[in-house]
Amino acid sequence: MRTLLLVITFIFTMNITAQTSYEKGMNKAFALWDQQKNTEASQLFERISAAETDNWLPPYYAGLIEIVSSFGLKDETVLTTKLTRAKEFLDTASAISENNPEIMISYALLNTAYIAFDGAKYGMTLSGENAAIYQKALSIAPNNPRVVLSKTEWDMGAAKFFGKSTVPFCKDIERAITLFEAEEQTIPYYPYSGLERAKAISTECKKETSPKN
Amino acid sequence: MKTLLFLLLTLLCFKLHAQSTISGKVIDQQGTPIMGANVYLSGTYDGTATNDNGLFTFETTTTGTQTLIASSISFETYSKSSDINNFKNVTIKLKDDVNTLDAVTVNAGTFKAGDNAKVTALKPLDIVTTAGALGDFIGALQTLPGTSNVAEDGRLFVRGGDADETQIFVDGMRVFTPYSPSANNIPTRGRLSPFLFKGITFSTGGYSAEYGQALSSVLLLNSISEPQEEKTEISIMTVGLGLGNTQKWKKSSLSLNTSYINLAPYQKLYPDNNEWHKPVESLGGEAVYRYKFNNDGLLKVYGAYSAVDFDLTQEDINEVNGVRFGLNNNNHYLNTSYQDFMEKDWSISTGISFASDQTKIKLDTADITDTENSAHFKLALKKYFSSRYKLNFGAEYFITDFKEDYIANTIENEYKFNNNLLGGFAEADIFFSKNLATKVGLRGEYSQLLKEFNLSPRLSLAYKAGQNAQFSLAYGEFFQNPKNEYLKFNTDFSAEKTTHYIANYQYVKNKQIFRAEAYYKDYGSLVKYDTDFTLPTSIYDNTGNGFAKGLDIFWRDNKTLKNTEYWMSYSYLDTKRNYQNYPTQATPDFASKHNASLVVKRWVEDWKSQIGFSYNYASGRSYTDPNTGRFLTEKAKSFNSLNFNYAYLISPQKILYLSVSNVLGTKNKNGYQYTDQPNTDGIFDRRTITPAADRFFFIGFFWTISKNKNDNQLDNL
Repeated sequence: MRTLLLVITFIFTMNITAQTSYEKGMNKAFALWDQQKNTEASQLFERISAAETDNWLPPYYAGLIEIVSSFGLKDETVLTTKLTRAKEFLDTASAISENNPEIMISYALLNTAYIAFDGAKYGMTLSGENAAIYQKALSIAPNNPRVVLSKTEWDMGAAKFFGKSTVPFCKDIERAITLFEAEEQTIPYYPYSGLERAKAISTECKKETSPKN
Repeated sequence: MKTLLFLLLTLLCFKLHAQSTISGKVIDQQGTPIMGANVYLSGTYDGTATNDNGLFTFETTTTGTQTLIASSISFETYSKSSDINNFKNVTIKLKDDVNTLDAVTVNAGTFKAGDNAKVTALKPLDIVTTAGALGDFIGALQTLPGTSNVAEDGRLFVRGGDADETQIFVDGMRVFTPYSPSANNIPTRGRLSPFLFKGITFSTGGYSAEYGQALSSVLLLNSISEPQEEKTEISIMTVGLGLGNTQKWKKSSLSLNTSYINLAPYQKLYPDNNEWHKPVESLGGEAVYRYKFNNDGLLKVYGAYSAVDFDLTQEDINEVNGVRFGLNNNNHYLNTSYQDFMEKDWSISTGISFASDQTKIKLDTADITDTENSAHFKLALKKYFSSRYKLNFGAEYFITDFKEDYIANTIENEYKFNNNLLGGFAEADIFFSKNLATKVGLRGEYSQLLKEFNLSPRLSLAYKAGQNAQFSLAYGEFFQNPKNEYLKFNTDFSAEKTTHYIANYQYVKNKQIFRAEAYYKDYGSLVKYDTDFTLPTSIYDNTGNGFAKGLDIFWRDNKTLKNTEYWMSYSYLDTKRNYQNYPTQATPDFASKHNASLVVKRWVEDWKSQIGFSYNYASGRSYTDPNTGRFLTEKAKSFNSLNFNYAYLISPQKILYLSVSNVLGTKNKNGYQYTDQPNTDGIFDRRTITPAADRFFFIGFFWTISKNKNDNQLDNL
């Protein structure tokens, strides 16, 4: 009996060990990202992605890091290389999880990185593509707070460009905040973040709407 | 029992914790260490990044056969399967990724536009927002070096070649009649509307073996594969109206675009120097249907219809009452193409294009009806052996069926011919390294009409000399059957021929491009005839020849001035030929020695406006003064034009657009016309041919209606 128990415990422990290697890897990658070690973090996500072939999160994060870290780059060669790589990761992620709104808005973010680099070269084609992505993401997940937030931010950017008031969009930001707060966070490592950004934008909104002295 | 279990557990534990060390070095092909490369065992979490010396070392608990992966940005990913014990002190040599932006490109002779190109000479918006181009993408291409400004013609004249030496292709299929017909001395416009296309490749020489029947140049247009959204576009212009609509379904989409142009009101307000009986009126429609198959296959059907009608009397020094010219043209064009990716890295593209064009011309008392039916069939296969070696081959068949009815007073004549041609090509793209690449091709053509087979070799080579600089060379032989206006009277010809030699230097650095290209073109077997005009009774032969040599310089800078982009082109051309009815070798009247243009665009954020200027200069072209007794030896005045455009975004979806060509009203001269007979003093009188109008104004209002409130027609302007 004792032997059996021991064996069971052992097998069980082994299982747990196997599980935690994913968690250990993911935790370590997030820690690296926190420390601004973008390359190391992205590489670790890439390694996890190679091991976890049916999980969209590791390639999603590997791509996201490349995208986020390409904003502000001055060299087009580096930019294109990074974003091409990022796109490959996102393609891997979306092959695992089709029509995933989180991945879709990352594609839009990728396009935005190109547009931010050279609006005249990339703006014409990619801004239309982005509008279409947001439209589709919103129709799939109308209550996803990140979809609502990033679409609203995109619309606000366009309004700003045309010198229009961004006030009409504030209610959408408020709606995103409500959705964020109501969101049940059940899946480990799911990209739930965004609430803080929404709140920051909301504060800006309130400044604009309140009468100036 | 207990002992056994203990043993088993120990073994298991041992196995679990047995660690082996993986170590080694990652280097590039030159042996330089690569830092920051991601080295790991596939399917495990075990791995690390290389240090400054390219060294790596990590522990793993796995055993047996594993796959070691090494990946790094701008290198091809390395992978090797072997027993884990072999991965000790390994040296991994990564191959350069030849698909990256900083790899060499085989580009002699070629300009690319669009955001897919590695080096973009023209951005998508430039095609349509270049001052003076008036929404015609041909106009924007004329600001690139290698083109000659022939203001009264409007077509593309490339490197000493005439306009018929340039062929235009849509999705790989030939466009047989790309330009709208126009009267003498009035520039024509391209029939294709620019916003249905995404990528444009303009080659001024040395192009791929996939394209033939063009002595000087090819222009390749790719239609949009997938429109982004459903929308309706309305344009109200001083010269007419336009309406467009795009519908999208799950796997397919349809874009329709129609336009109606009537110059009558404009010509009432600003009369030009022609006497119009019926100002230009044209109706055009285009439709693109796309269908995506499950297996990545993409079918595109592009159809266009246009009808042009006008009637005018033009001044003529030999006719007191001028020459009356009326034209009615109907043109149908259909282009169907299919592309698919197959197993084992094969891909296929195939297509059919068909054009039916009928032009009725009234020239004084003569009635001329030209009917041309043409078709192009093509099948091309591509095999992707590796990123370093690609093979492209295919076959195509052209049919041209031409008929002319000529009726004047009592004479009635019919001229016709069938110009059918079979072509085949094969071409390999080879990258020796990230810095050295070549394209080797061969094209064969058999003309049923001329009963002649021609073989044209093509070769280009590119070498990247530094981080920003590259050198390219290109050589090629090009054949083209004689023009319809000769073939209708005589078919006993050989194909006309050119040989191109090109040397190119390019320097690209962060939003700045410098390009210099020198070339030599050798013309042979050009058509000659012995009368003032081509006549059924003329004697024709193929003994003409000529040359063109020159230097093209291009500079584009999007960096130095904030919110401002500009580009400059300069072309030097030295060309002479003895063809048509030339008595001697001479510089043709369409070629100017110096051509220069400057295009400046500035986006003014506060005004929500884009302001653009362009300046075009062409040195005087040659003409014949019969009083001198010499042929094409006189030089006309140079051509100068300053153009202006202004786009104001009223709201994201409403745009007001204003454009003025030749703002300064420079009195340009397109040439001279001399009397057929000398006057009583024995002198041939002349008349200056001036442009129909010195300036042209255009005001338009463009409105887009779509779900997405940010889309607009700025790209159509």
